[in-house]
Amino acid sequence: MRWLFSCMLLALLGAVQALSSSGQRLLVILEDEAEREKYSVLLEDLSSRGFHTTVQSPKADKLSLFKHGARAYDHVILLPAKSKGLGPALTANQFLDFMNNEGNVIVALSSDHATPSSVQSLLLELDIHVPSDKGALVVDHFNYDSTSAADKHDVLLLPFPKAIRPDVKNYFAGEGLIAVPRAVGQTLGNESPLILPVLRAPSTAYSYNPKDEADVVEDPFATGEQLNIVSSLQAHNSARLTVVGSAELLQNKWFAEKATINGQAVKTANRDFVQKVTAWTFKETGVLKIGKLLHYNNERVSKKLNTSVAIPEHNPKIYRIKEDVAFQIEVSEYEIDHLAPFLPVENDALQLEFSMLSPFHRLNLTPLSQTANATIFGVSFRTPDQHGIFNFRINFRRPFLTNLDEKRQVTVRHFAHDEWPRSWQISGAWVWIGGIWVTVVAWVGFVALWLYSAPTTNSVKKTQ
Amino acid sequence: MRFFRSLVPSLLVSSAAIVSAASSWSFEDAAVTVSSKGAGVGAGAKDKLSATSPLSKSVSLGATDTLKLQLTAVDGKKATRPHQAFLTLTDPATGVEESFLLNVKESGKGSLNLAHKDLPHQFLTSSKPLPASIVIGSFGSSTAYKAKVFDLNVARDPDAPLAVPEKPLRYAAEKEIHHIFRDDPRSPPKFITLIFTAAVAAALPGLFIVWATLGANANHLSKALGNAPISHAIFFGSILALEGIFFLYYTTWNLFQTLPAATVVGLVAFISGSRALSEVQERRLAGLR
Repeated sequence: MRWLFSCMLLALLGAVQALSSSGQRLLVILEDEAEREKYSVLLEDLSSRGFHTTVQSPKADKLSLFKHGARAYDHVILLPAKSKGLGPALTANQFLDFMNNEGNVIVALSSDHATPSSVQSLLLELDIHVPSDKGALVVDHFNYDSTSAADKHDVLLLPFPKAIRPDVKNYFAGEGLIAVPRAVGQTLGNESPLILPVLRAPSTAYSYNPKDEADVVEDPFATGEQLNIVSSLQAHNSARLTVVGSAELLQNKWFAEKATINGQAVKTANRDFVQKVTAWTFKETGVLKIGKLLHYNNERVSKKLNTSVAIPEHNPKIYRIKEDVAFQIEVSEYEIDHLAPFLPVENDALQLEFSMLSPFHRLNLTPLSQTANATIFGVSFRTPDQHGIFNFRINFRRPFLTNLDEKRQVTVRHFAHDEWPRSWQISGAWVWIGGIWVTVVAWVGFVALWLYSAPTTNSVKKTQ
Repeated sequence: MRFFRSLVPSLLVSSAAIVSAASSWSFEDAAVTVSSKGAGVGAGAKDKLSATSPLSKSVSLGATDTLKLQLTAVDGKKATRPHQAFLTLTDPATGVEESFLLNVKESGKGSLNLAHKDLPHQFLTSSKPLPASIVIGSFGSSTAYKAKVFDLNVARDPDAPLAVPEKPLRYAAEKEIHHIFRDDPRSPPKFITLIFTAAVAAALPGLFIVWATLGANANHLSKALGNAPISHAIFFGSILALEGIFFLYYTTWNLFQTLPAATVVGLVAFISGSRALSEVQERRLAGLR
């Protein structure tokens, strides 16, 4: 028995080690084995967080993102390669298939190498645009590291990004400055809500190609905050892709390098930033999970959500129109290695829709209480005065958070014949009820009269 | 590497300056002119710009106007061509930024023409003046220059249609919807209902009074009960019972309780009624009716 117990304990430990919420098989695509040393700290950090790393060259024979039709890896880091083509195993379609199967991808670009054509068409497909010419990089004459790039101003020192909107949680906040050496800037299409900037260039930055003859910038790829150093995409299936404009940002050299900005000596905080970017992309942060969902008729007694998984959801299938209904739902957020109670940021709200084709109710859910790893949200409302097939629907889509779309179908019936108010309760009906009773009594009186009335004398006279 | 080749001589030239003191970029002889269409060259208001303090009044750009910005970029005191010379407009409401490149010549003289067609729609619809900054910077050790130089007031012709693209979808909390219920059915005021109910109820005594004045009576009751006591009592009782069944159907009973009871009572009424009505016929034949 003891060995069995220790085996189980080991298995449990293994489960604790597996940190990402979507698997730990990580493929790092690196062309030059000699370059591996440059990324050793990043790779060590990842394996200490529970990822099983495989480093492969894009030219390796057996390299494939799929095995037997299923994903062979959960996450991919694509580091820049010298060759323009990445081979048949890493085409844009392969990457898109990989993401359609909920795989996560980090693409690192470098201005030293041309962006591989498969990566270019992948990013184009996603409406992320990178300069097409090799060597284009982002410079800023204001926020550069004067230790390493005193003349060329191509090593930017940027603060950690702020939240992109006041109602969006910032998963990339931190202290210090991030060194961004020789970055390839990206611009994002405006149409899609799925692509998001992670780290923007400062407003005075611009992208240019040092190989251009002109000694003045002409027709830059993009300027200012429209340039992104790190940008991301979260697909409808919550697969994530992050484009890191500067592969050097991920290298050991810049993880804690001494730098100077405007005469001030600083230490770069790339390690922290890279940890946050990889944690978000590989779904260690910003992952939501729905627990128990409860709805019930609130007319008589109110129930409390029983969070035990042992008890299945036991929700009514049918409600009546104009009935008081209460709704409760548990939502958790994955934080690095555990589920924690989820709370939306201040200006944001989790919303419940009670809908038939279109929502009849859309209500903000308020947090009622918390369990060890979930927040219980709830709201009470009255079913609309329209019968039909309705849905309780939680459709929670927010930047940087995985999509939640959960619905429970219920029937809303109209009043049964014996649920209406009785006629004597309706004051307008009293006249008619009175009429009926007058008729009843008059009829009984008429019958009695017809049966028992004796002829009167004057009527006898008349007949005579 | 061409860049290096072009950079090296300039580095050599400026290295002395770097060692002594880092110079800084700025501009001189700057002016902004707004000329309207049709007006001759040189017409329109011309405002001199200073590198150290922004223009006190805002510059207004009408729909048909062209803004012309001219300046000479200087590195320290020397007029030089910088790598970067931008005019950056910012919309304070939306945070949209757009940089416009100055066309700078070898001598450091730069110019820029700006009209409504160059501006993104956020700038055209902005209600507040847009702060305009000049950014001058280049490689090397000279400190780059960025400062607000004037406020640009975009005056739009309110009648001219503006193609503002539809706002793209962004995931955020949507507006709450509360279902608006139909009104409950309403009754007329109780006062009026009671008046009409009283009028209806008064019809019953009215009817009885009319019958009484016409000589209605129950004088034959004893005769009828004497001739056929059982059938008369049961017949009249069954008529009352039928009304009682209707009352119970109205209040509590359902149809399946009502129908059997009504059948039984109806049968009783039929049998006893034929006897009772025979008795009434006898009375009529006897000339008593």
